[in-house]
Amino acid sequence: MTILDIAVPFSNFSDYADALTERLLTQRLFAEARILDKEGYEEWLADFIDEKIQYWMPDMETRRRDDVRGTFCYGEAAYFDDSIKELTIRVKRYNEPSAWADNPATRHVHLISNIEVFNTEIANHYAVCSVFENIRNRNMADQDVIHGRREDIWKLENGVFKLVIRRIFIVQNVLLSKNLNTFL
Amino acid sequence: MCDNNSCGSARPNMKPVYPKADKYPEFAKLVDEEKSQVDRRVFTDEEVYQAELKQIFARAWLFLAHDSQIPNPGDFIRTSMGEDDIIVVRQRDKSVGAFINSCPHRGNRVCHVDSGKKSRGFICNYHGWSFGIDGGLRGTDGGVYDKDETFEKSEIGLPPVAQVQSYKGLIFGAFDPEAPSLEEFLGDFTFYLDIMLDNDQGGTEFIGGAIKSEISCNWKFPAENFVGDILHASWTHQSGAQAILGGGVDLGKRYDELAFQASIYGHGIESNLDKVGNTRTLGYPDLVDYVFDLSEKAKDRLGEVRARAIGAVSSSNVFPNFSFLPGQNTFRVWHPRGPDKIELVVWTIVNKNAPDHIKEQYRKGVMMTFSPGGVFEMDDGENWEYSTKVNEGYMTRQQPLHYALGVGTLDEERDLPGIVHKGSKNEANQRLFYSRWAEFMKYDNWDDLQNSKVTLPQNKKQQWSD
Repeated sequence: MTILDIAVPFSNFSDYADALTERLLTQRLFAEARILDKEGYEEWLADFIDEKIQYWMPDMETRRRDDVRGTFCYGEAAYFDDSIKELTIRVKRYNEPSAWADNPATRHVHLISNIEVFNTEIANHYAVCSVFENIRNRNMADQDVIHGRREDIWKLENGVFKLVIRRIFIVQNVLLSKNLNTFL
Repeated sequence: MCDNNSCGSARPNMKPVYPKADKYPEFAKLVDEEKSQVDRRVFTDEEVYQAELKQIFARAWLFLAHDSQIPNPGDFIRTSMGEDDIIVVRQRDKSVGAFINSCPHRGNRVCHVDSGKKSRGFICNYHGWSFGIDGGLRGTDGGVYDKDETFEKSEIGLPPVAQVQSYKGLIFGAFDPEAPSLEEFLGDFTFYLDIMLDNDQGGTEFIGGAIKSEISCNWKFPAENFVGDILHASWTHQSGAQAILGGGVDLGKRYDELAFQASIYGHGIESNLDKVGNTRTLGYPDLVDYVFDLSEKAKDRLGEVRARAIGAVSSSNVFPNFSFLPGQNTFRVWHPRGPDKIELVVWTIVNKNAPDHIKEQYRKGVMMTFSPGGVFEMDDGENWEYSTKVNEGYMTRQQPLHYALGVGTLDEERDLPGIVHKGSKNEANQRLFYSRWAEFMKYDNWDDLQNSKVTLPQNKKQQWSD
């Protein structure tokens, strides 16, 4: 199924989901952002992430419009290209008292907007587009801001929406931060 | 400027300019070899930084690209040499040219992208001056200059990097026409480069794309970290090691016998020769198996010692700012962007003949460990940022920094090239890195630089370790 191929970004969806589904998934995105803001990474993995998750944030290259390679490509350099195995390792590090870049704690805000929810060719699978602003502040004037777009597939199973696919396209070519100690 | 007949009669001299180096003995003294300490002004002072751009980055061989990034004529990537914006482009005869990315008319950049394929040339957006992949001017918009007899386009082009040479797939450039050959500049350090570049028939390639990030630190903090600072690994990276391995960083059971640091002309490597310690931190058992097998096979090519180094806990820096980690297969450059900022560019290297799933696991493994969101690199940036930023304090930056770990550990018996010290938990390579830095400040010629009494290996009685 094309929508479950991480390497293929969304083309145009037109079949908007019904109002109730849209409301439930919007709430779900906001709840996820709130959990990430409070660094509830284990809770995030357990409650929001499907065990088949494909979580990809490619390197954004600056290329000419006529370059057939486009500005990113699956299989090349990426910030994240994770299954549940890799995400679990990242979360384990956050839980270590010696994760110095997170101790003292980072203050996070994930702002989520421009949410659109679509039906897809697979039952109980919804395509969700959104944009985010992520703000991290740690120490005095030490502040990092990242903006980007997300393409998600959320699966409804046993009454719960879980994230199966997430593509994260940031607008930065050079990451203007010393690290990326968050999930987006 | 004027419009009468006497002005403008001489044509512009558009030949590229390669300024001579100077001497900065006062800056060289900021590195105190006898006391094994470094003055913090080397990390903060704007004048020192400008001297670095002139003495080091305008002279030394700097990494430009891997052959595999630009296989065909017209393929190019954009990079930096110091703060200079550089286009590296494969020529029709398969050689490589490198040019300053700045139009000789008003100086605008002529290439605005990270890379491209099969380009026929570069055109300035300002007045349409266009250049071939050989850097030569091809024409201007509307041909106005072409009809002007004072305009001799054959003399005009993108200023070329004076020398471009490669070593086993790695392409380097030097602005200095007087610089010795790349192999002379690397010296016997090629012995250690081969651990990564020549452990398998068929050579290496870079996986596509590069992760770039900005860190607010002086470029020498990460360079000295990679040249010989395994000491930080068990403390800084305790969390990452716990997450991946479920335990601390392990330097191997035969540390006392095997671990070493080696330095040649300020290039340095530290290794524990424990076979797979670095590879293991990537978190994929298949990769560990691959490196064990590779290590056995590579004995024929590299010998016992280097075969043990392919995946070992180790790190390396080629002077001044090109670093890599054997076993974890990350190659990176710390481009200076002022005394207190760098742009870090990170690539993943793999053997061309490695199976696809092994290449894929290296790609993912580097991303998991040594990229901005990686469980190891995440904790490095902040150390280097505050090691730099704290020196804004006037009194703070008067205080010396201690570089004396392992003074007196020179190993004159070990049968390895370079100035060899016992144990990898040592600051010998860092001391020699700063000695090399001081030599670039002190000397205005390559004869002195290449015959240094301190950083050239055959002179083993160097001051640091007496």
